[in-house]
Amino acid sequence: MIYLDNAATTKMFEGGADIYKKYACQSFFNPSAGYNKSFEIAKELDGVRELIKKNLGATKGNVIFTSGATESNNLAIMGSKRNGKWEYVFSLGEHPSVYNVASALENQGYTVHFVGLLENGQIDYEELERVVNNRTRLISVMHVSNETGAINDLVKIDKIRREYCPQALLHIDGVQAFCKLPFNIEDFNADLYTISAHKFHGPKGVGALYVKNPSGLKNIIYGGGQEGGYRSGTENVPGIMAMKYAIENIDIIKNFQYVKELKDYFIKSIDNTEGVKYLKTESPYILSLSFYGVNGETLMRSLQDRNIYVGVGSACSTKKAGNRVLESMGMNIDEIKSHIRVSFSEELSLDDIKNACHEILDTYHKLLEKVK
Amino acid sequence: MNVILLRFGELYLKGHNRNYFESTLIKNIKSMLEGEEYKLESTFGRYVISNYSQDKQNKIVEKLKKVFGLYSLSPAIEVNAEVDTIKNEVAKIECKGKTFKVFVKRADKSFPISSMDFAKDLGELILNNNKNSSVDLYKPQCEIHVDIRMNHKAYIFDNIIKCQGGLPLGCSGKGLLLLSGGIDSPVAGYLMAKRGLELEALHFHSYPYTSEQAKDKVIKLANLLTDYVGDIKLHIISFTRVQEEIHKRCKPEFMITIMRRIMMRVAECICEKYNLGAIVTGESLGQVASQTMQSMTVTGNVIKEKPIFRPCIAMDKEEIIEISRSINTYDTSILPYEDCCTVFLPKNPIIKPTIKQAENEEQYIDVDALVEECLEKEEIINIMRE
Repeated sequence: MIYLDNAATTKMFEGGADIYKKYACQSFFNPSAGYNKSFEIAKELDGVRELIKKNLGATKGNVIFTSGATESNNLAIMGSKRNGKWEYVFSLGEHPSVYNVASALENQGYTVHFVGLLENGQIDYEELERVVNNRTRLISVMHVSNETGAINDLVKIDKIRREYCPQALLHIDGVQAFCKLPFNIEDFNADLYTISAHKFHGPKGVGALYVKNPSGLKNIIYGGGQEGGYRSGTENVPGIMAMKYAIENIDIIKNFQYVKELKDYFIKSIDNTEGVKYLKTESPYILSLSFYGVNGETLMRSLQDRNIYVGVGSACSTKKAGNRVLESMGMNIDEIKSHIRVSFSEELSLDDIKNACHEILDTYHKLLEKVK
Repeated sequence: MNVILLRFGELYLKGHNRNYFESTLIKNIKSMLEGEEYKLESTFGRYVISNYSQDKQNKIVEKLKKVFGLYSLSPAIEVNAEVDTIKNEVAKIECKGKTFKVFVKRADKSFPISSMDFAKDLGELILNNNKNSSVDLYKPQCEIHVDIRMNHKAYIFDNIIKCQGGLPLGCSGKGLLLLSGGIDSPVAGYLMAKRGLELEALHFHSYPYTSEQAKDKVIKLANLLTDYVGDIKLHIISFTRVQEEIHKRCKPEFMITIMRRIMMRVAECICEKYNLGAIVTGESLGQVASQTMQSMTVTGNVIKEKPIFRPCIAMDKEEIIEISRSINTYDTSILPYEDCCTVFLPKNPIIKPTIKQAENEEQYIDVDALVEECLEKEEIINIMRE
């Protein structure tokens, strides 16, 4: 199997699964129980909070464990909203777990701005500059686009914020960036940062929200008051500890370099093939491609018969193909229909990429022959 | 004793065949209530279900509401047809301030009081016990029925629940439903089953152009249909090669016309093979290009010996959707997976094809061989009612 859909999810580290089992079957205590064994677990969780902060480059703030990115994004946005004439700013390229929260805010009567994308997949900075003002409460932008691999210039966004709306909070959905790109959160002063464990070989159902100033956040669910009251519910200790294992066992810079070689090799192999077009973006982990004349989903299914797995993003599968993100970058309907997403991991070899490219092109040409 | 009274409609009209219809209906009721404990008796034109545990009554009623051939039913109290016994039972009725009317029916003419007089007596009794209620003979909020039957039993009930009507499933033979995955075809299946037609189903899929999820959706739809039509044998045919061939060799605007002609041929072969007497489709006149009068002429033309039943033919989409919701298939039907009719969809399909044009296009492909190939790769899934 050649698995090229690592932006959808990654394979969990075997060592992480061992850790998971240890904390599920041996050190299984509820961190809030009060006896020493549970207190030890609580301290271990605090250790993971510090580890995440260290990886983000944060010197202050707190980390709240959640069930994953969707919950982190909901907490960041809904937990930041305030009554009054505040406004909320998002990009059109956001993941549904941000975009649909934004739409919900809009339906609740809040003023919400959606900023368009540039052709390269990044947020339109000039438009952002135009929509923010002294009523802006929150700017929520993704670090790396899950669809295209475009990396937003967060330093630039922060600069816009400081100039036009210093009161606004900055939330970054870092799902495709954390443990993948080298960065320091203090370079762009994010107030909130979302991470998800299963995107970097951790378990599913675990994530976190970094919060620079917790007093500005309101909880959105109610219960036993865990996580400082910001996220009630017994912590997923096995999941969190397995996430810790993943963080500790990833060499971000080494992986970045290696995966970049894979992506470059991939591009070199398919470049100059008639009908094939790709998006030049900065994240080495994600490559967005169009194979003119064939339907992306048909290509995806034909490839699975060859044991190769690629993503089709969130392309709508009905007669009317639609993809909000690609559309807002100005892609035409034919490009969108024939779009697939290839996403890499350091667990792939150069040979895998070589074989995959060969199979993908062969499948493409055979399909094209049938449908043209 | 708590019982459920069952009434059937059209069976009365069927003269000499009545026994056959009734035995089919009883068989279907028993099949629908499989796993439940109860007693079923037939008494003078009614069925009575009794000896079930009271907490199962709603469940049994819900199941019976799906049996074709039943016209209506009423949960009732059964007592001996004696004046005092009936009065004792009626005395317990609470009207909670609503207006009411008592209906007495006396099939047993040996009962000592006339229907009119007895209704008056019972009305008075209820009024005495429900001081804030009153009688309304024209638009009562509550209808209290007392049915005195030939078996010397009386049935007291206040609710007549409408059932499906139609004819008992199976008494009209067995047909083949073309099940696409859309909204219309499950409705068509339901409507024909209501007229007594048992069903098998046929689905065409076009992997890799359509997904496993699309096929799974059709299996789910067939599963939902079993609620009404019982077990379904689902025939699944891979249509990929046919579509590729047509796409390659015929004019694009004829894609769907030719495709549907081949589907019909395959359907008729399956009817032959499994001894099915009719083809059922969800077509509705003018809904899409392939459902114009001319298109249906051209697709129906390849069928030699079977009738094609199109129960949705005269319905608006909204009407079809309404039935689809009522039989619980709508939410599954609208799941967004492509079906094989959306693959290779031409921009401008021909709206008024002629038989001659279609036959002309078919010269470019080997129709018989393609049909043969379809049948060779037939997959069968037996879907049982849960």
